[in-house]
Amino acid sequence: MLKVSVKWQKEVFSNMEIDTTQPPYVFKCQLYDLTGVPPERQKIVVKGGLLKDDADWSKVGIKEGQKLMMMGTADEIVKAPEKGPIFAEDMPEEEQAVAVGHSAGLVNLGNTCYMNSTLQCLHSVPELKSALIQYPPPVRSNTVDQSSHSLTVATRELFNELDKNVRPVAPVRFLTALRSKYPQFAQLHNGVYMQQDAEECWTQLLFTLSSALRSSGSGEDADALKKFFGIDLVSRIHCPESGEESMETESVYSLKCHISQEVNHLHEGLKRGLKSELEKSSPSLGRSAVYTKDSRINDLPRYLTVQFVRFFWKRETNQKAKILRKVDYPLSLDVYDLCSDDLCKRLEVPRRLLRDEEGKKAGLKTNESSSTKDNDVKMTDAEGPSNASGDSSVSAPGEGAPPEKEKHLTGIYDLVAVLTHKGRSADSGHYVAWVKQENGKWIQFDDDNPIPQREEDITRLSGGGDWHMAYICMYKARDISI
Amino acid sequence: MAPAESNSGGATKEQPPVKAPAKDLKKKDEKKDEDLSEEDLALKQQLELYVERAQDADPGLQKVALESMREEIRTATSSMTSVPKPLKFLRPHYATLQAHYEKMSDSDLKKLLADILSVLALTMSPEGERESLKYRLLGSDGDIGSWGHEYVRNLAGEISQEYSKRQSEEAPIDDLMDLVVQIVAFHMKHNAEPEAVDLLMEVEDLDLLVEHVDSTNFKRTCLYLTSSAKYLPGPDDMLVLDIAHSIYMKFEEYPRALQIALYLDNFQYVSELFQRCEDPLKRQQFCFILARHGVSFELTESIIADDEEREALQNLINNTKLNEGYLTLARDIEVMEPKSPEDIYKAHLIEGRGSGGGTVDSARQNLAATFVNAFVNAGFGQDKLMTVPAEASSGGSSSSWLFKNKEHGKASAAASLGMIMLWDIDSGLAQLDKYFHASDTHVVSGALLGVGIVNCNVTSDCDPALALLAEYVEKEDASIKIGAIMGLGLAHAGSQNEQVRSILMPLLLDGRSSVDVIAFAAIALGLVYVGSCNEDVAQNIVLALMERSEAELGDPLARFLPLGLGLLFLGKQENVEATAEVSKTFNEKIRKHCDMTLLSCAYAGTGNVLKVQHFLGQCAQHLEKGESYQGPAVLGIAMVAMAEELGLEMAIRSLEHLLQYGEQNIRRAVPLALGLLCISNPKVNVMDTLSRLSHDTDSEVAMSAMISLGLIGAGTNNARIAGMLRNLSSYYYKDASLLFCVRIAQGLVHLGKGLLTLSPYHSERFLMSPTALAGLVVMLHACLDMKALILGKYHYVLYFLVLAMQPRMLLTVDENLKPLSVPVRVGQAVDVVGQAGRPKTITGFQTHSTPVLLAAGDRAELATEKYIPLSPILEGFVILKENPDYKEES
Repeated sequence: MLKVSVKWQKEVFSNMEIDTTQPPYVFKCQLYDLTGVPPERQKIVVKGGLLKDDADWSKVGIKEGQKLMMMGTADEIVKAPEKGPIFAEDMPEEEQAVAVGHSAGLVNLGNTCYMNSTLQCLHSVPELKSALIQYPPPVRSNTVDQSSHSLTVATRELFNELDKNVRPVAPVRFLTALRSKYPQFAQLHNGVYMQQDAEECWTQLLFTLSSALRSSGSGEDADALKKFFGIDLVSRIHCPESGEESMETESVYSLKCHISQEVNHLHEGLKRGLKSELEKSSPSLGRSAVYTKDSRINDLPRYLTVQFVRFFWKRETNQKAKILRKVDYPLSLDVYDLCSDDLCKRLEVPRRLLRDEEGKKAGLKTNESSSTKDNDVKMTDAEGPSNASGDSSVSAPGEGAPPEKEKHLTGIYDLVAVLTHKGRSADSGHYVAWVKQENGKWIQFDDDNPIPQREEDITRLSGGGDWHMAYICMYKARDISI
Repeated sequence: MAPAESNSGGATKEQPPVKAPAKDLKKKDEKKDEDLSEEDLALKQQLELYVERAQDADPGLQKVALESMREEIRTATSSMTSVPKPLKFLRPHYATLQAHYEKMSDSDLKKLLADILSVLALTMSPEGERESLKYRLLGSDGDIGSWGHEYVRNLAGEISQEYSKRQSEEAPIDDLMDLVVQIVAFHMKHNAEPEAVDLLMEVEDLDLLVEHVDSTNFKRTCLYLTSSAKYLPGPDDMLVLDIAHSIYMKFEEYPRALQIALYLDNFQYVSELFQRCEDPLKRQQFCFILARHGVSFELTESIIADDEEREALQNLINNTKLNEGYLTLARDIEVMEPKSPEDIYKAHLIEGRGSGGGTVDSARQNLAATFVNAFVNAGFGQDKLMTVPAEASSGGSSSSWLFKNKEHGKASAAASLGMIMLWDIDSGLAQLDKYFHASDTHVVSGALLGVGIVNCNVTSDCDPALALLAEYVEKEDASIKIGAIMGLGLAHAGSQNEQVRSILMPLLLDGRSSVDVIAFAAIALGLVYVGSCNEDVAQNIVLALMERSEAELGDPLARFLPLGLGLLFLGKQENVEATAEVSKTFNEKIRKHCDMTLLSCAYAGTGNVLKVQHFLGQCAQHLEKGESYQGPAVLGIAMVAMAEELGLEMAIRSLEHLLQYGEQNIRRAVPLALGLLCISNPKVNVMDTLSRLSHDTDSEVAMSAMISLGLIGAGTNNARIAGMLRNLSSYYYKDASLLFCVRIAQGLVHLGKGLLTLSPYHSERFLMSPTALAGLVVMLHACLDMKALILGKYHYVLYFLVLAMQPRMLLTVDENLKPLSVPVRVGQAVDVVGQAGRPKTITGFQTHSTPVLLAAGDRAELATEKYIPLSPILEGFVILKENPDYKEES
């Protein structure tokens, strides 16, 4: 019989008796009683060696009063989870793109930042992407010329690639198609392709896509692009001299924000942009007279494009000069007061519903945070009007409004993309796209380099210096389903 | 080298100020004879009269004249800048007197005149003639000090010149030595210890010093001796330190004597010390010093007879108090709260950039988080990723984080638990136990490594690391093998444990082992036998190197073989030569690389300027075909030059040049060398250089610069470096490899939440812990091939840093070794070498109460008289004794 002390973690069991006639396994069982560690998981350290279950005590050389150390725990053995995490490094590239949270950049092929930024902005419109996927139609119509067709296909392919890649994409095919369709983009200066106006590129591209998709469309979505981007304007043309008055309707793809001394805010610029003067021959006066044209929006698109008219043709320098004036633009834009009476009427119900819904959200929060009865009473009061509006919405279908659960526009728009320009003239400087991703994060696409940005920095691109300033803004409609 | 020059330099320096005015005076004398005041004129005439009389035939008259002349000279006082008047007036007569002296017959009078001539020669003797000495030897052996300091100093200079001349002619030197004894005695009595030491070094007879030191000047003398040792060529430096040691022993300044014994790596001295000093408290203090140095020293019965005391002291040497003391410090500073990697990254402070999507786990970033977590929470025993509260263990977060790492990443994750439980063997091993039974080989490998990390720098008498790891070395799986080997190396670093050797050595020569296994075996053996010059181990590594094929030697890990060999000779200078000769026969692919590695290790921490030049020369060569020896050469510059402050500054400047003119492989190594030079000591100029390099177009330069930013800021929480790294993390957020390096650096900067240091130097930068340096060097050599090793599957080599991790604290304990809080002043250390009196040793100090943190270059002193520290160096654990003479102020 020997007496030893055994140290286990922070505990010490002194005066443990060893029966040297029994194998060490017996000793381990003694320890099992004390520590709860099963013998097979016990490791007993004797001077730099482990005690084996079947060792001979006499050979181990244990002395009376020796200190032993025991290791081992009754803890659960670590097991690998059945389904391990998937690492970004293992994913195929297209899935990595999802993980990264934004799509790829576009390589600058020599003064093509105007095109890259335009493409990045348009790429952020999922509806456009899905419309493009259906192109070309199984039955090809002859209305689309070859170059428009190839440009449309190139756009579709490029958008596809952007979604799949993490690394920058080189839009070579698209550029070739664009230049063959619109030779003005292939202008050379000193043997180098010139910088171009992004707005021109934007307009031309949309025009081409629109005509190509229109021809392909079947039935209801015959003019998909018009539904997404087109703005119907109704204008009253009035000649103060003769008192003549006529109405005109037209469809445009963007609203212009005119910049003059008085304009400090996008809204003011838009109002001004909708009023214009023109000179035409008056049938009643028999000569040309000044007419005022006062336009209002008659139909709204899903995506509202606003162009800041920052460039004007400066004869002396023979280039498009830039107005650097600072014009603020909001993250959410309400165009209600630019709408025609007819449209206003149509917007009224959805707007009220939207307001209520947002009010409800805010109200719910206060409800959760407090549990006193007083508040509950107030809440029911507050819900009163919303019930009333509920009634009116029930009656709405009866009045010939579109059927229930359809998305309705509200006239309120959220900013989703900004195309900015830095420099002094449209044909020089640098264009960059700032695009809001589906996860709500803003990314600055500076050619091949996507850089995350904060939302508050986006509104700082309003001009007034030599930094990037907004040239085209794209707003997405905040709609409500009824 | 330096004192030799400084002394002769000193001698020549003394002459010009005396002689330059002399020239002017000659001209002035003629012109301005009339300008002299009446008093001076009288003196002048008086002296002229004496000169005349001294040549008189009558010995009586001569004697009177000479004696009064001597009197005039002795009593003359003067300011430092001008020649004493009697000397000035006697100057024109020097030649006359000389001529007269030659004519005189031997007599006391002649000796008297010789004395006077000796003094006059002080200003008159032409350079190199040593006439002062000549006449001194001819004169009467009167009290040397009676002629003043300047005379003695001049004489000392002449003696050293004369000595070297006679040495070359092998002429006898006895008469000189008599004079030396007088001069030394004079200097030692008059606060001029440095001069005495200089003279004795010149005449190579330092032993004389021991007789002349007394309790008032031995401290200054020894300080001068120890600091000049850094500039002496071997073996003189050893000799000087030996003298310092015997002086300290003579005056019972045991802690200092112990330091020198450790510097000399002389364990005979250490044993003697324990035998000489009976005071149990002091013995405990010695144990703390030994533990800090990280050497394993076994107290035998012959050293300390009492079993109980021996066991208690051995426990202190085994560093068993380290964890407890560290946690005391942490609780006092209130940093026990575990930190997550996100707390370190501080992404919210980065302008405008969220760190990517973050919804999907990236194996690389999770691995980085594992390391950051391990470094930051090192030794605290708790963290937010690996340790779990016991209740939550069912599907607990511990295993879930472990499995958020991929393949070999799991090894590092499991091992990180060892880092978190650092120095706490009991709970550390209990926590790691569960991983031993895992089915995943990487987890087991990591657990083995973790055991090694937990046991690093601490020893348990049961030696659980050896018991646990030994059997796994035999396993087939290479990753388990490597885990066990590295664990053994870390746990037994510096121990020269025979058992470990018998386990590891067979691996080296086993033809079936893969290159990575033998590479780690060589490193582990190098660590265990660090600085031991063990022939047997060296031979086996050499054989392993010779047996391997050329292709195998091309493996990135093959660099560990010569490094393991080099570690055996760490700091042992010439001892490496035989092995270096053998290395010349190696495959040419690795020959030069091996040569550089061996040299750099052997001269590490010596400050040997010739070796630094040698390495610089190697870096100037153009590489022919993909050779790799310049990397170790650049690191070698840092390893050699890090020994002392001056050489360090020079090395930093030389490295700047290499950056400008060196080739790419040199530029990649330069940041690492800078990191080693300023480890845990963020010098602003180096910080700026590294910050610049971290944006280098060569990504490998950038990576090593970032790792080095981490190294120089290691454990300092330096806000500037932290800011730089945050900016880098947003700059490189797209490049996973570069971002990984930034993360590692961020983890290092907050090492142990700012309580740890990686510096191998301690005890006022006098001693260098060999194991700590070895750990750093292994990690840096691995960084030379960042892509293949750190960014490949051998990232766990980063854990070699654990060898250098030490709390940068001052913890005062009472006689029962319980923490005791006392006020201390902490400030920038001031160099007081060679200063007379008791100069202030710190500047810009603040008063804190212990435990306190000490930054690089800081020194602490007690701000109370109530206690007496048992170690003169207030670092680490210091035992305080109550001052019996202390009276409470009312």
